[in-house]
Amino acid sequence: MWSLAWKNVRRGRGRSLLTSAAVAAVVALMMIMYGFSGAVVNGMFQNLTRSTGHLILRVKNADKIREFERGLIQDAPALQERLARALPGADVEAMLEVPALLAGEKRSRGVLLYGLEPGGRLMREFVAKKLTAGGPPQNGEEWSAALGRTLARALKVKVGDGVYAFVPNTSGIGAAAFSVSGLVAFPESTIEARTAIITLAAAQELAAPNAASRIVIFLPGLISPARQGRLEQARSKLAPLVPAGFELLTWRQAEPAMAAILDMMTPLLLIYAVIFFVLAGLLVVNTVYLGLVERIREFGVIIALGADRWRIMRLVIIESLLLVLSGAAVGGALGGLAVWRMSHGFSLPGPLARQYAEFGLPVVMYASITPAQVALVFAFAVLTALASALWPAWLAGRLEPVEAMRHVA
Amino acid sequence: MNALVEARNLHKVYKADGVETPALRGVDLTVQAGEFTAIAGPSGSGKSTLLHLLGGLDRPTDGEVWLDGQRLDDKNAVERARIRLWKVGFVFQAYNLIPVLTALENAAFVLELRGRPPAERRQRALAALAELEMGGYAERRPNQLSGGQQQRVAVARALAAEPAVIFADEPTANLDSKTGLALIEYMKRLNREKGLTFVFSTHDPRLLEHVRRVVRLEDGRVISEEVAG
Repeated sequence: MWSLAWKNVRRGRGRSLLTSAAVAAVVALMMIMYGFSGAVVNGMFQNLTRSTGHLILRVKNADKIREFERGLIQDAPALQERLARALPGADVEAMLEVPALLAGEKRSRGVLLYGLEPGGRLMREFVAKKLTAGGPPQNGEEWSAALGRTLARALKVKVGDGVYAFVPNTSGIGAAAFSVSGLVAFPESTIEARTAIITLAAAQELAAPNAASRIVIFLPGLISPARQGRLEQARSKLAPLVPAGFELLTWRQAEPAMAAILDMMTPLLLIYAVIFFVLAGLLVVNTVYLGLVERIREFGVIIALGADRWRIMRLVIIESLLLVLSGAAVGGALGGLAVWRMSHGFSLPGPLARQYAEFGLPVVMYASITPAQVALVFAFAVLTALASALWPAWLAGRLEPVEAMRHVA
Repeated sequence: MNALVEARNLHKVYKADGVETPALRGVDLTVQAGEFTAIAGPSGSGKSTLLHLLGGLDRPTDGEVWLDGQRLDDKNAVERARIRLWKVGFVFQAYNLIPVLTALENAAFVLELRGRPPAERRQRALAALAELEMGGYAERRPNQLSGGQQQRVAVARALAAEPAVIFADEPTANLDSKTGLALIEYMKRLNREKGLTFVFSTHDPRLLEHVRRVVRLEDGRVISEEVAG
């Protein structure tokens, strides 16, 4: 039966080739789309978690606490050390966010001072990569701060100028002078207008000695949100170390809006897959149906010789499967090749890359597709073949041998 | 002796667009195993209809059809297909070989439908082709064969399956008289040497001189039956 089906598929060569090519295009396109979406999701995930970390330890409901002191992790270095010991290989960093009044010579603005560890991953992410002038803040005889460009403009200061930070009613010294070490650019100007970055030590001395507003944990090699299992594993390992009144959040819980955007990709791609495969399926129906109409006499003979309707239906379905699967194999190979090449890094065209960067997409992305996604694409192809063959197979199965043998195409 | 094929008071009426056309009007016929029987009659006399009913390709409007002890007319399409597969061989006027298959594959096709293993299919199909002196054409496609050769492959297809009976519907109608006669001689030899039961229809009177039993049909009725001495 398979041999006859294959010969029948090859009989209408032009039509079969066109249909298989359409299926191949859809399969290749879907694989590339999955690869591209993998690149986007992973890129956004990596960009996001570079600044949030994979796990975040903070005071329970810290985002709802208005009082500065109550939102602090006291004796942060000890806790930080315990967490680091429990997760060898992970980077555990503390940061302290301090609401402050920052004043230049003539103007002042309400800002958020971010105290970060010099040389840490957060400092690299927040400052080193975003510097447009000068350098990162340093611990030294004179404290320095990197200011958002818009903030610097508002305060009318430039690199090398002095600014003054006021943080009244805290356990720190409450006020200090900083020199502007550099200017940083953020994608959003509103953030740029109220952000200044200083060292963790400076922030602690200014507002809360030995404290942090959050401890951020980076797990090594976690580059995809799909590996939720590893995250949960690390989380349960750290859970016993979390003191009462504190919470250990995953990046998903800390950034639910971003997580929702990333989660949207899966259903979105499924919708695309359904649309593309339905279109390809219509072509397959057409080919299988025309193949049936042209061979009604032949089907009549096969039935006359003793094939029952199920066998005839099976023949039609096998023909459809061969038509689709041959296309899917070619499409899978082409799509796989494209994804493999894209997995070594690719960039979107200039304007598009800039636009996408607003959503946290890196300039160079790396395509990635999971075996489950490849299996899904092929499952769609098989489903298309079966669904497309159903109606022609039903018609073929109901042919009466005598009438069919009299049929003139 | 039980008949291999039996038709009892067979009626067939075709209905199209509300018009009823009677094709058979009460045909009684018995064929014993090993017989070589011709159904003769002019076009429209009901020969093909009778063969279709006897072979279980169609169901009568009234009457009974028995084949090898099984009643056919009350069976559904799937059951009749199964009986055809195991008991009946067909040879058609238009050869009706499957164009994408070689002569060998065509000859083995019924065996493939029966699920026989490839080696057995090949061996039996080759033997059948050899019986019809078509062994040298085993790898040719139907479009590479003459009409007479194609019809011999069709007979080989029926022969390879070793059915209880072979129904041949005007097998010589598309052949010239010499080739047609040669085909009948092949069929007669198979009947004589292998005891195969043949029932074939024809409207060519020249062929009937070579057949022992001739059943004549006219207007859907048996008008005579001749058995040569």
